[in-house]
Parts: sequence; C-alpha cells; structure tokens
Amino acid sequence: MPADEFRAKALAWLQEHATPFTAEAADRFAPTLDESKAFQKGLAEAGLAGITWPTEYGGQGLGEDELIAFNEVSADFLMPTGPFVIGLGMPAPTILELGTEEQKKRHIPKMLTGEEIWCQLFSEPNGGSDVASLQTTATRTETGSWLINGQKVWTSGAQFSDFGAILARTDPTVPRHAGITMFIVDMHHPGVTVRPLVVATGDAPFNEVYFDDVEVPADAVIGEVNAGWAAAVVMLRNERVTIGARGRARNNPLGFDTLREIASDVGTSDDPGVRRKLAMVYARETAAAAFGRVLHEGALSGEPIGARGSVGKLAGAEFGLWASDAAEEIVGQDIALLSGKSAKVAKMILAGPGSATAGGSNEIQRNIIAERVLGLPKDPGAADRKTPFNQLKLSK
Amino acid sequence: MTLIDNPDQKDLADAVRKLVSARSPLSKVRAVALSDAPYDADVWRQVCSLGLPGLAIPEQYGGADGTWADLFVGLRELGAGLVQTPLLASSVLAAGALLAGDDEDAKSTWLPKIAEGKAIGALAISEEGDATWGAQPAGVTATDGTLSGTKVAVLGGAEADVLIVHASDGFYLVETDQPGVTVTREEVLDLTRSVATVTLDGASGRLLAGDAGAVLDRVIDLANVALAAEQSGAITTCIKITTEYANIRYSFGLPIGAYQGVKHKLADDYTEWCLVDASVRTAGEALTTGSSEVSVAAAAARVLASPAYTRAAKNMMLLHGGIGFTWEHDAHLFYRNAVAGNVLLGGPLFQQDRLADKLGV
Repeated sequence: MPADEFRAKALAWLQEHATPFTAEAADRFAPTLDESKAFQKGLAEAGLAGITWPTEYGGQGLGEDELIAFNEVSADFLMPTGPFVIGLGMPAPTILELGTEEQKKRHIPKMLTGEEIWCQLFSEPNGGSDVASLQTTATRTETGSWLINGQKVWTSGAQFSDFGAILARTDPTVPRHAGITMFIVDMHHPGVTVRPLVVATGDAPFNEVYFDDVEVPADAVIGEVNAGWAAAVVMLRNERVTIGARGRARNNPLGFDTLREIASDVGTSDDPGVRRKLAMVYARETAAAAFGRVLHEGALSGEPIGARGSVGKLAGAEFGLWASDAAEEIVGQDIALLSGKSAKVAKMILAGPGSATAGGSNEIQRNIIAERVLGLPKDPGAADRKTPFNQLKLSK
Repeated sequence: MTLIDNPDQKDLADAVRKLVSARSPLSKVRAVALSDAPYDADVWRQVCSLGLPGLAIPEQYGGADGTWADLFVGLRELGAGLVQTPLLASSVLAAGALLAGDDEDAKSTWLPKIAEGKAIGALAISEEGDATWGAQPAGVTATDGTLSGTKVAVLGGAEADVLIVHASDGFYLVETDQPGVTVTREEVLDLTRSVATVTLDGASGRLLAGDAGAVLDRVIDLANVALAAEQSGAITTCIKITTEYANIRYSFGLPIGAYQGVKHKLADDYTEWCLVDASVRTAGEALTTGSSEVSVAAAAARVLASPAYTRAAKNMMLLHGGIGFTWEHDAHLFYRNAVAGNVLLGGPLFQQDRLADKLGV
C-alpha cells in the first residue's frame, strides 16, 4: 500500500532528523527560528510537506491516507514547526482555494520550504470575535494600489513573519460584511510596526500590529475586492480545524499523561476522587481526538467538515477549561506554585481562557454550531447585517 | 478500520431508521410503555427480520458473523427511537457472556436461538445494595448444581427464557421455565426498559465452563459500549426534537432558538454528543480489532455517554418550558431513560473507577 510506504519513509526521515518525544525532551524543547526554518526546509525536500497539496505548487499531490499516516507517525516526535503552523494551516489553504495562479506559484512553494513565514491579520482591538466589525481601512490610490491604515491585534508570529493575510474595509457605505477585502501584505514594509503583547501568563505569544500608509499592489487582493468576508469564512473554517481538531497531544500539560505523572509525584493518585477525575480527563481528551478523526475520515469519504470545525474548536477549548478545574483537584496545593513539576500545569491553567477566545470565543462557536449545524435562527444581534457600516454603532 | 460508518453499516442504519419511523414511532413507544407488555412483538419480529439479534454472533452458532460495531449501529438507531426490545439484554449481555466463556454445549444450544430471536436471554449480576458490576457476588450460592438467592436490576429478566446468573462460584445457565425461579417485573422509572428481580430457590443451573472473571470483564465492556451506543442515538433525538421546537416556538417576537440562552445549550448538547459518538466509535473499533485498549475505550464511552444523555434529556425538558414537563410530551420518556441508563449496568462511580483501574491509575 502506498500509504504504508509513505509512512515508512516519513518515519525514517523523522528518526534521522527529529527529536523523539519524551516528557523530559518536551520540557527542554526550545528551537530557534533558524533551526525551525532548517527543519521545515528538510521536511519539504524529503517530500513530507504539503502532502495533499498540488505538485505544481510544491505539494506532494498525495491523498488523505498519506496525511493521516504522517500525522500518526509524527506524533511521536517533537517537531520545530511552530512558526509555520499559522501560514500552512490558514493563509495557504485559503490562497490555494481562492488565490490567483500567480499568488499560488509565488507563495505556496516558499511557505512549504519555510522561506516565507506568514501570519493572519484579522482581529482588531475593538472587534473581538465580531471580525466583521473591523475598522482597518484600505483605500485605492490613483495607480490602483491600496493604502492600508489601522491596527490589528492577537497576531501570532507577526514578529518573524514575512507576509500576512489581512482583512481591511474597502467600502464603508455598504453593510459590514459587504465592504471587506482580503490582501496579502508584506510585513517588512516600513509602515508596519509590530509590538509584542504581554498576556496573563506573563508571556508575549501575540503581537499588536500597526499599519501606517502601508501600500500593497492591486494584485495583492485574495479573491475579489469587497468579497473579503467570503475569503475570511474560508480562512476561519481552516483556522478552527487547525486549532481544534488536533490529536491527543502527548505533552499537553492538562492532558492525562502529564496529570497522571504529577498526581503520582505529589502523592494524590491513590485518592478515589483524583482517580475518577484522571479517568474523566482521559475520556474527554481521547474523545476530542477521536472526533477529529471522525471529521477527517468523513471529509475523506466526501462529507465536508464545514461548520463542524467549530465543534472541534469548542470541544478543545472547553476541555482546557474543564481540565483546569480537574487539575486543581488532581495536583492539589502545588498548583499554586510556579516552580517544580506542576509549574507547566499552573501556567496552562492561566492560559486556558486565552485558548477559549482565540479563533473566535466559545460563545461565537456555539452560535455557529447552533445556526449552521443545527439550523437554529440567526442571533438577534445579526440585525445590523443590513445597515451600512458607516451608520453602525461600534466600539471605539 | 475507520471511525465512520462503512457502507454496510450505513445501509443497516437506514433500514433500522425506516423500521423505527414506520413501526415504532414515539406514539407506539408510549403505547407499549403504558401496556403490560415489555415490548411489541410485531416490532421485535421486524428487528429480527433485519437480522439484528444474530448480527454479532459467529456463523457457527447461527449468527451473521458481523462485528460488535455493526450491532452498535443498530442499537444506536433503536436507541434514537427509544424502541423497546430485548436486544441489549439478549444479544449483547446474555450472548456476550456465553461467547466469552468456553461452554460449547451452552453456546451451541442457546446462541442459535438467541440469534434468531426465538429465545431471549438475560444476564443477572447486580445484587441488592451493590451498584457495582465488579464485586464477587455473595447473594446467589450454588449447592450441587442448585441455586438460591436474589438478583436485582436484571434487564429483560421478565421476558427471558434463559438467565446467565453470576453466582459465588461462577456463571450459571438457568432456564426460567422451571420451579424454583421467580421473576418479578418491577415498576420502574424508565417506562421503556423492563427490569426484573429474580429469586432463585433451589433452581437447577448449569455451571458454565470458562474463566468467570474474564467473562465478567468482557460482559462489562460490551454492556458499556452497547448502552453508550443506545444513548448516543437517544441524544440525537433529544437535540432534534428540541431544535425543531426552538424553531417554531416564538417568545418576545422571535423563535426562542434565536436567543443564545437556548442555542448555546443546544450547541453544548451537540458538542457533547460529538464526543460521545466518537468515543462509541473508538470502542467499537477496539472491539472489532481486538485491541488491548478495549476495556479502556468501552469505559470511556460509557462515562461520557451516560451523563451527556442525562444532560441533553434534561435540557430537552427545560427548553420546552412548561410543555416539556407534561405527561403528554415525550421529553419525560427520554429523561426517564437517561436517568435509569446512568445507574443500570454498573453506576457512574463504578464506571469511572473501572476506567481508572484499566488505565493503571
């Protein structure tokens, strides 16, 4: 079977080039950007990047079986691919679906080899999960190019990105979803300012990005002018799948493997209540991973994931919040410490609410599930869908 | 193996769904629930004509040699309709216990009848005051092949032709058509399940060959996935009926389903169902491939399914407002079924403890 051959090939390459997963190795794992780039390049050269993507854009042209095989094999390794997750997970599939031939040829191969790192510029300070309320503008110049002005926020990887997929308002006189355009923006343009955004954990995993007369050419539009919402929906769908439908991460601090180990270290593992909580952590964690597989195999057999990607996203975020409570019981008083073995769990508890907001809040995901999967009526808040954007009440 | 229904399973699901809507709609379920009969003989004949009772039984014992996962597809669809049948009691619990043992005589005598639906089996494990399915039974003792003692919460016991009884020194096969066996069908919370108390007073039984511990372990796994499969189906109906209502019931000028207070509860129920469904499928796959993870996967499916169903059924009542609390509405049928399903076949704490044990915690 070709998938088995592919699996063997992937395993052989990973054994030679990647770090096998162990809990200790995962704790120490801190690859530099250069190491990440070198790894991604190697991955692409070995034929292990863009597995299901067309060969004319640097992909492998293989099937979902091979992709599943790779995902299964690679779960046993620590891969320094973090900087490429956003670009390959969201902008790249969107460009493949909606981009021009030139955009695909120019960017997709370089994204696969790690030469181009991409970010996604949707969220704004006054918008939150209401992406369509965005206030960043793009105005057309006499030459047909566009000038972008405004501010984006929660941008992962902006500090080392070469390009971004940005949503900007190109017509404020039409209802809010109708006047948005998606552009490819060069993050090295002098009008782009990236500032780290420190979050509750004390880390700065995101950025604020300011655009001050950033000029992009006419051919930087992804899809059609003023049809950016359709492109955004494509990208958000890919985002929910990227964020939500991950497998059971072996080094998740709130996962069963880690919590069991810590319970045994801190001496709570004989407590009947703790044992039951651990059992439930296992059940919920594995079910979320299995649901990802159900979606994936369904898609293979011709049942598109669609809005069910929101289920994966919601289930993942809710698992994080629920497991935070469980971890307090399982770990006990050590959860109040930011030292020792349980520190990573404590930090993850602190990060939980952020994961439940990224990619659209849980409430937004619930609306999507209720409306697009179950067929319930639109939220009354959607009444402003018909009001021109420049007549809407907005957060300032 | 895949986690989605294969083409045969899709066909089976369609066939069972058609049967449910044509022969056993909720109005029929209600009529059966209020009658003296534990199930409708005509519906059971239809279920048998689809081959469900013998689906997971090997060909050599008159079955169709399918997988347990196939049978769970059928149980899921019957569960979605709350259809009363002895399928779980007979084809999963009793047949599963026989299959897990080594008693060729008992297998070749009873499995073909169970496979055809001509005989009904039941499994008697629980005893008064003990909701676990793991304890060594003390309430039924054997002396020279005669059994005495009492078993409670026996699913399908009242309609069974043969009982597999967990006694102090192993599993016994006890035919109900004999003096010394008294079966009392209990008045129960769940109007769609028949539960009995079995009193044995010098009843003759046949000690089944095989390792009783292994049989019990296997039967618990099968019970967990089968019940979770039924519950998975029932959750989908709770969500479907409630969603339909939320689309047509207006309050404050809008369908109530437009309000987040309603839609978020339904979205949460649906998300939980997705996890339940995925875990049932995982357990079905583990049973089919003979994975060493079977017990873990089965217990995981059960600890997710039972509480998720209770919640969905409770939300069904709540989101229907006053009407959902009336006798005429079907919501209470599901709520009753959910609450009973959470405690029967080993209660929730037993299941969580079992999962922890099987995970080596």
